[in-house]
Amino acid sequence: MKSFAPWAVAAVAFALLPLWLQSPYALHIFISLFIAVALGESWNVLGGFAGQYSVGHSAWYGLGAYGAFILLQRNGIPPWFGVWVAVLGSVIIALIVGSITFRLRGPYFVLASIAVAEIIRLAALNWKDLTNGAEGIQPADLPPLKIGSQVLVADWNGKLPYYYMGLVMALFCIAVNYAVKRSKLGYYLQAIREDQDAAHSLGIPLTLYKNAGLAISAACTALAGSFAAFYIGFIEPQQVFGIDVSVDMVLVALIGGVGTVTGPLVGGIVLVLLNEGLRAAFEQGHLLVRGVLMIIAILLMPDGVVGVLAQRFRRKAVAP
Amino acid sequence: MTALLDIRNVSRFFGGVKANQDVSFSVDPGIVMGLIGPNGAGKTTLFNCITGFYPPSRGEVLFKGQKINGLTPDKVCKLGMARTWQKVRPLAKLTVLDNAVVGALCRTSSIKEARAIALEQLRIVGMEKRASVLAGGLPIGERKKLELARVMATRPEMILLDEVMGGLNARESDEIIQLILDVKKRGLTQVVIEHDMKAIVRTCDRIVVLNSGEKLAEGTPQQIVNDPRVMAAYLGDSGGAKA
Repeated sequence: MKSFAPWAVAAVAFALLPLWLQSPYALHIFISLFIAVALGESWNVLGGFAGQYSVGHSAWYGLGAYGAFILLQRNGIPPWFGVWVAVLGSVIIALIVGSITFRLRGPYFVLASIAVAEIIRLAALNWKDLTNGAEGIQPADLPPLKIGSQVLVADWNGKLPYYYMGLVMALFCIAVNYAVKRSKLGYYLQAIREDQDAAHSLGIPLTLYKNAGLAISAACTALAGSFAAFYIGFIEPQQVFGIDVSVDMVLVALIGGVGTVTGPLVGGIVLVLLNEGLRAAFEQGHLLVRGVLMIIAILLMPDGVVGVLAQRFRRKAVAP
Repeated sequence: MTALLDIRNVSRFFGGVKANQDVSFSVDPGIVMGLIGPNGAGKTTLFNCITGFYPPSRGEVLFKGQKINGLTPDKVCKLGMARTWQKVRPLAKLTVLDNAVVGALCRTSSIKEARAIALEQLRIVGMEKRASVLAGGLPIGERKKLELARVMATRPEMILLDEVMGGLNARESDEIIQLILDVKKRGLTQVVIEHDMKAIVRTCDRIVVLNSGEKLAEGTPQQIVNDPRVMAAYLGDSGGAKA
């Protein structure tokens, strides 16, 4: 049994880091990292454990973001309350979508997931009364965050509050993966990934368990999406519902190692550092270079960085 | 004694192809029933109809007196009927133990309890030392045994074995025959699809012969072996004229 100790040490180290590290740019990198890790871990619950390669997770990301933004803008509900409503809404819509699209297998499911995200994007684009269409929403200043009369965060313009909230969120998503993997749900999702018919014959109700995985995955994605949107401070349909949001989530898990708890963490670190490095080196061309690197990485390491390391480790363990 | 499994006039059509037609037989509790027939006779199709993978086009399947055609495979498994696959289906990236745990979770939600059940079943098939190996890396003999351990872990009352000896050498086949007899001793009912007549005669109490989707004969192994119609179905009608 692996202990929690390394995780606890890492969490404390990250919590203390801003005492030394105060440059907004450095904090921004870490916040991007937390968001990437949270999103990769969220996707991993469905894509990694259950093998249901959704390329439409921007749907849940965007619904979380739009839900919380609209509740703040229209009803003045602060996001730390509104986000839970948005998460619940995303899960309900995800379950409706899931009970239809989970009849499909393999590439057909992937295509359906893209179509769903696209439908929701177009709805957000055209439902101008609710979403303000393509102009997007730039919310008013956030109210101070209070517990009782104690003001925790008065000023939302700095990076520090986002740093700590992002850290907690990323750790939460990792913990969710950890818990899922060790539960009956985790065993069943992995069985579904490996062989649906065998899983079915062993007493696993396929659609029920896929939907359970989707619900958890969508909830975490909506939470992370809403956080990311408030950090950026502005949303419009293409930015939150676009396919690049979904693809980025898949990449984090894929590069790190699909179906492992540590994979999306490693993938997030690799991708965020790579993004920043390439942007500095290649400026406008960085996406092109990144694309080529991703293709090479996936060809060379189909099981991701964690997969390669695990294989090395196993070989060493077997060798005398 | 009422039958545990009762198959009544089951037919299954794929377009114009009659994979099963009007097949009826019943399986009494505690026996090993052999299901034999030439390639394409509809043996696996019948398994699929019984276990819910496709509903019969006509007819009824009763398990413990309850009509089960129309139920999904997971519900059939929950009722106490589990199957193996002719083409083995290991959960390749899970360990041998975890494969069996997935089966055991059919009757419990506790991982700890499921592990205990799974280990017990691995021990019975003699694979407890392989527990931490990835199932995808097993040779065929062990894959077949793992299939058996995995269905047994679902704690069934009845198991359907689809060619568990296919592709095995004589020693491995003997081990499986012994396992089938052990399972029988524990009171489970079994339906076995098999091509190896020696294995069938050693394990089965009764045999049903399918040919071209229809039931050709049913009886004790002795009756079947001496039935000229069965010979004809396997070797051709007019003795060697076709060959």
